[in-house]
Amino acid sequence: MAAERSTAEFEGFLAERADHLLRTAVLLTGSREAGEDLLQTAVERLLRRWRRFDGDPEGYLRRTLCNLATDGYRRAGRWRQKERLLRGELSLSRDVTGDVDLRDALVRLLWQLPARQRAVLVLRYWDQLTDAETAAVLGCAEGTVRSAASRGLARMRELADEWDDTAASCGRNGKRA
Amino acid sequence: MNTDVEDLLRDGMERYTADLRAPAGLIGRVTQRRRRRLLLRSATGATAVLAAGAAALAVAVGPGARQGGADTTAYVVKQVDSALSAADPGDIAQMTVTTSGTATPFGTGVSTGAATGAATGAATTTEEWSYGDQWRSVTYSSAGHPVYDEGFSASSVYTLVSYRARTWVRESGLGQPGASLSFSASSGCGLPVGAVAFLFRSGLPGIGKHVGSLPETVARAARAAVSCGTLTVAGHQRVDGVDAIKLTSRADSPISETIWVSPGTYLPLRLVIRSGAGSPPGQLTADISWLAPTAQNLANLTVPIPAGFRKVSLSAAVTPILALIPGVPLPRTFGALVPGLSGLKTFCPAPAGPSATARPTFPAPAVRPPATPRLVFSCPKR
Repeated sequence: MAAERSTAEFEGFLAERADHLLRTAVLLTGSREAGEDLLQTAVERLLRRWRRFDGDPEGYLRRTLCNLATDGYRRAGRWRQKERLLRGELSLSRDVTGDVDLRDALVRLLWQLPARQRAVLVLRYWDQLTDAETAAVLGCAEGTVRSAASRGLARMRELADEWDDTAASCGRNGKRA
Repeated sequence: MNTDVEDLLRDGMERYTADLRAPAGLIGRVTQRRRRRLLLRSATGATAVLAAGAAALAVAVGPGARQGGADTTAYVVKQVDSALSAADPGDIAQMTVTTSGTATPFGTGVSTGAATGAATGAATTTEEWSYGDQWRSVTYSSAGHPVYDEGFSASSVYTLVSYRARTWVRESGLGQPGASLSFSASSGCGLPVGAVAFLFRSGLPGIGKHVGSLPETVARAARAAVSCGTLTVAGHQRVDGVDAIKLTSRADSPISETIWVSPGTYLPLRLVIRSGAGSPPGQLTADISWLAPTAQNLANLTVPIPAGFRKVSLSAAVTPILALIPGVPLPRTFGALVPGLSGLKTFCPAPAGPSATARPTFPAPAVRPPATPRLVFSCPKR
């Protein structure tokens, strides 16, 4: 049986990893406010079992964040996010001929993807997990991860192609760094 | 391109989150949040699951445990306020208002749907959508036929379709940004009745409301209501299969208000307003759905003009509808309305004596009403 963990240990862990986990949460939810809320919920769950927790706390929090985000955590948060997506979509169409960097557009597009695809891309390209690790976090098969990533990236490629076409038609060469 | 997009996405995520830092005192916040949740559970009868370590926090929150009850209410109200703040204008609030009884709970002029039903004692239904400054309301007869359909567009264009007269009107210059309900618990609202009643104010020009002010959105009015401190947590009740948190108005309130909010989202699911003691029985029930602003849902905010309907002037369109509503203390002219005070009349108990019966006259549309000042929510002493 594992030894009981102290609160100081928990604080030390959060001091080290909370920033990164917050960024993951923000990428999963699409806003800082919703991300903080999501992280607090996940941390609360871990705190409840911390004293007897036996495992990788960061992995647990990452899994909790993804599960909460993909399971429709807080309806209000979802609506907020959808509103943001709607705005993002609108601004994307406006900005595509402007100076918005493709990288920013891709991140906005990330929030338009279904929650599961978004989680896969965040875990794969932000947390840099392998397909197997991503599948373990999301509790699904590796094949599911690969197909979700493939579909998400395909959508992003479409955007990038449109971006190139627009850049070409507008005479903007090499906007992408 | 594949690798390129992946790299760009990775860079984009890195750049987007580069400045993010976890808030200081995260554990403290989480602990406080957990403590409040436990208090809420204890207040709603779920104390059995409290962990031993939290026993000290699980203060008795039954009758007489004022401090614990106040904390719980404060927490729920704060959550509801936050949820409504996020939902306005993020969500489209779809509200189905059913009216029953021989009178509206607020006298007259609150809801034309309610008032038209009050004339016969039959239950009527009004369906409303609100989103930001857009608003639409369809009032049905007791037989379920549409009586009229009205709404304000995002550009403050008012449209009214009368199904009985088969007419329609569209006027700009009537609307302006929604009436500001500036409530806060700290400033004290001084409400004689709850602000939830504002939900049922008709947008129909001439009915106890300044013509230039938009009907209050569900989110804003409900937010105002919960932040006024007039509601307290009264346990849980099932609403459409959800174990909703029940908030009720104070016992001394002239109008009985009850709001059920989702325990997950803290958004209102149902509102019920009943007449106070000594008033004719009446009840308004509003079932609320919170919809994503998809193109399909946004389309509900547009008032369709049926084919074959005749375009008429504003007064010609409105007056027949007003005639359906008995005993409404209508202003003599819209121009004579004192912004804000019209709302006051709506919510205070009707004064003794004869009510005004004059029908309104209509100013030229080009005359834009002055900005609506901050409303004062108190009834005049009689």
